Amino acid sequence: MSSITVPSPAVDPDHPWVPAARGRRRTELIMLIFAFALIAFAFANVGYSLTGKLPSSMAEYLGAFVLITLVGHLAVRRLAPWADPLLLPLAALLNGLGIVMTYRLAQQASLLSASLSPSATGIQVLYSAIGVGCFVAVLALIREPRVLQRYTYTLGAVGLALLALPALLPASISEVYGAKIQIRLGTFTVQPEEFAKLALAVSFAGYLVAKRDVLALAGRRVLGLDLPRARDLGPILVIWAASLLLLVFESDIGTSSVFMGLFVAMLYIATSRTSWLLLGFVMFVTGALAAAKLFGHVGERFNIWLHPFSGQNPSHNAYQLVQGLYGMASGGLLGKGLGGGQPYITPLVQSDLVFTAFGEELGLAGLMAILLIYGLIVQRGLRAAMSVKDPFSKLLAGGLSFMLALQVFVIVGGVTRLIPLTGITTPFLSQGGSSLVASWMLIALLVRISDSARRPPPRPIQEEGLTQVVTLT
Amino acid sequence: MNRALRRISIAVLVMFVLLLVNINYLQGFEPASLAAKPNNARAFEAQFQYQRGNIVTSDGVTIAESVPTNDVYKYQRKYPHGPEYAPVTGYDTLYSQTGIEYYENSVLNGSDSALTVRNFIDLLTGKQRKGANVTVTINSKAQDAAWNALQSDTSGKPGAVVALNPQTGAILAMASYPSYNPNVLATHDGKLLNQADQALLQQAGNPLLNRAINFTWPPGSTFKIVTSSGYLTQNPSSTPQTNVNSPTQLKLPQTTHILTNNNGEVCGNGSGQASLLTAFAQSCDTTFGSLGMTLGAPTLNNFAELFGMNSKTLKIPMPVSPSNYAVPNPPSQALTAFSAIGQYSDTVTPLQEAMFAAAIANSGKLMTPYLVKQVTASDLSTVETTNSPQLSQAVSPTVATDLGQMMLAVVQDSDGTANAYNTAAVGFTMAGKTGTAQNGVNNTGLNDAVFTCYAPYDNPQIAVGVIIQGGGYGATAAAPIAVQVIKAYLASVGK
Repeated sequence: MSSITVPSPAVDPDHPWVPAARGRRRTELIMLIFAFALIAFAFANVGYSLTGKLPSSMAEYLGAFVLITLVGHLAVRRLAPWADPLLLPLAALLNGLGIVMTYRLAQQASLLSASLSPSATGIQVLYSAIGVGCFVAVLALIREPRVLQRYTYTLGAVGLALLALPALLPASISEVYGAKIQIRLGTFTVQPEEFAKLALAVSFAGYLVAKRDVLALAGRRVLGLDLPRARDLGPILVIWAASLLLLVFESDIGTSSVFMGLFVAMLYIATSRTSWLLLGFVMFVTGALAAAKLFGHVGERFNIWLHPFSGQNPSHNAYQLVQGLYGMASGGLLGKGLGGGQPYITPLVQSDLVFTAFGEELGLAGLMAILLIYGLIVQRGLRAAMSVKDPFSKLLAGGLSFMLALQVFVIVGGVTRLIPLTGITTPFLSQGGSSLVASWMLIALLVRISDSARRPPPRPIQEEGLTQVVTLT
Repeated sequence: MNRALRRISIAVLVMFVLLLVNINYLQGFEPASLAAKPNNARAFEAQFQYQRGNIVTSDGVTIAESVPTNDVYKYQRKYPHGPEYAPVTGYDTLYSQTGIEYYENSVLNGSDSALTVRNFIDLLTGKQRKGANVTVTINSKAQDAAWNALQSDTSGKPGAVVALNPQTGAILAMASYPSYNPNVLATHDGKLLNQADQALLQQAGNPLLNRAINFTWPPGSTFKIVTSSGYLTQNPSSTPQTNVNSPTQLKLPQTTHILTNNNGEVCGNGSGQASLLTAFAQSCDTTFGSLGMTLGAPTLNNFAELFGMNSKTLKIPMPVSPSNYAVPNPPSQALTAFSAIGQYSDTVTPLQEAMFAAAIANSGKLMTPYLVKQVTASDLSTVETTNSPQLSQAVSPTVATDLGQMMLAVVQDSDGTANAYNTAAVGFTMAGKTGTAQNGVNNTGLNDAVFTCYAPYDNPQIAVGVIIQGGGYGATAAAPIAVQVIKAYLASVGK
């Protein structure tokens, strides 16, 4: 890192055409209203399809949701006025579609394999309120992304503790569908891993910013690739071990891969060393394959993936995957329309396999749109990462964006049989609170970073110098 | 760091492209194969979500329809004429289909690729998708006559009737007795369905069997059409008036068995020689046993196959059980003699009987029998029309004319075996051949009554094959049924 002085373009008298930077909050509001219109249309669609009239509770659910997101919008106006105008509307659109799907599934709750209480829609709206509340809180508490760097090790410890917690607790309160990933408090459950991922992303960013110069040092050169020095392998080994422990003790291959992928991607962004990517990938695949050989439940995932239709698989182990595929197939190009399909046949369609429910009812066209919405969020996040100057923020935004992309890839790829199916939530769409709240917090961090990336440089106080200090990376 | 971020962006792009390509493949190309998986509950239930197409006769009588219902599924399959048309329609149950319901399933349920564009237009215009209607070649009057005759005239004996249009091969009637009521199998209650199915399987007489095309009996003397074809073709100078060897008793070589005619009757004037026409009209076994031995079993086999026997591939679209002619192995003159008169191991379906007459009626040109006339989409546009090809040239037109004269003599000559149905008696001119197939150990069983015929003689409109198991003489048990079918059909087409 070096500091040099360059003329500030914003006040260069030779270039008076440089436009004043704009916050684009009005764009955000218009896009939000557009998202509300889509959600209202989807809601009405469900009602007309299932009962032939508008859902009686549509006004209250939709009204509450509009109110909640408008609060989010006002908070952005006040707390992050230069933030990217697309992040909030895109997240709100996905969240709204998730609520509509929860409502749609709850209407036929008796047909579902796993129970969904009639109040599920209300609860989902409540979770959205909590999510947007946390979104506002993150924006209010973290006015400058750099402050998070101070808590590198604290957040790292918190993250690991959250990950380890369900494994240490008795299965009676932590096990769900064979994976030990939750904490059950009465009827209320929390999946700590959702929050652990955020804490660890922040922690990784802080750690890597501090150590990246060392980690970038080249060791031995093998096959044209600069391998890292053996003494620098410590951190990646720790994370690798942690992710494998997660895999083995919590049977949570999905989170384990997201976790490892996040670390490796951030390591790569920090050091620009391809060898880290390769090393991380090879380590994870070897570890996962070894675990597949050693532990039945991991190996089973591969069997289901490779041979879902053979033998007893379609009616037993691969039942869920196969039913999801059948659902998407019955949806075809344009879908059965919201409320027109039979997504309730697929087990856990309200959470892990919610993507297939959209595939069945909105068809290929709807799924492509949803994937593009995710793609846009990731793209806006990466754009913020590229334009923000502070390396910590850069790394954090890059890591968080990649993590979101990876999570979508793992679950969507899983339910469409691109890769083995592992049960993780679909951000914003799945029914359930932890994932929704954590996703909103992730968006809050991206909003915060994009705000600092797009904020115009402060006007120089001294006119005579016409210079300012910038940091080149 | 931006260079690395850019590469990460590319990686993300690749991930999303992979997902997009994969869902395009899954939802764009895979639906058909996934819908065909046996455990796909959605595809299973989807078949009841749309109104299945009707099956109607060529003269517009609906024989299978789907009516709206209020139970778990939207439509209930109904067969307004029940057992009469069961051999044609088959049944459509929760789990399986038979007959036209099975072989035209994809057009009836609307999933056929020929209907894709129409379904897509229906989707865009918001019209409820509907299966296509199948029009079968059956003439309802002929079918009614066949079914009523089988029910009332045979005192409960099993049998079947098939009527063909000789010029096209269109099946005008196809009735089998005993039959079953497909409505009981169309229930949406799995338990009731199972009970009904078990009851039908255990019921005496095997009502689920379509005897018209899936059961064979000895053809008896009707096989003399084949033997005569061989003789007339191989001896081009001969005519129906040519005298052939017609002893009262025919000693069979290498056995002590002596072949006699029915009740030991003499053939012709008893001189030991009779014209082919007379021998055919009187159905002299000695004449045709002798001709068969002269022709040889391989020749008989050739002509039997020209008339469609031994074919394992005939479909109407339901597969037709092969009618059998077997060359005796090791070669045996005696068995060849028996095979020439429709005994030994010769067996035929009622459809095959109709095909014998149809080939003669159509100048020797045998048309492939078919049951589906056309498929009509729900918007009444024609999806496909059947043009059935020629199956074979069984005999030359000259030989066909000769055989026509001989079959005419069977009905019209005073000593013909079916003289009771001459023009004066029935009101139209019929040509035919009776068969009375001996049965059981040492032929102690009841004879099967067989009759094949066509009418009117000078302008053939219909060819009919009838077999009544244990019916006795072909002329008394089978021929009256054919007469009723022909009468009903000719009346309905105004001839």
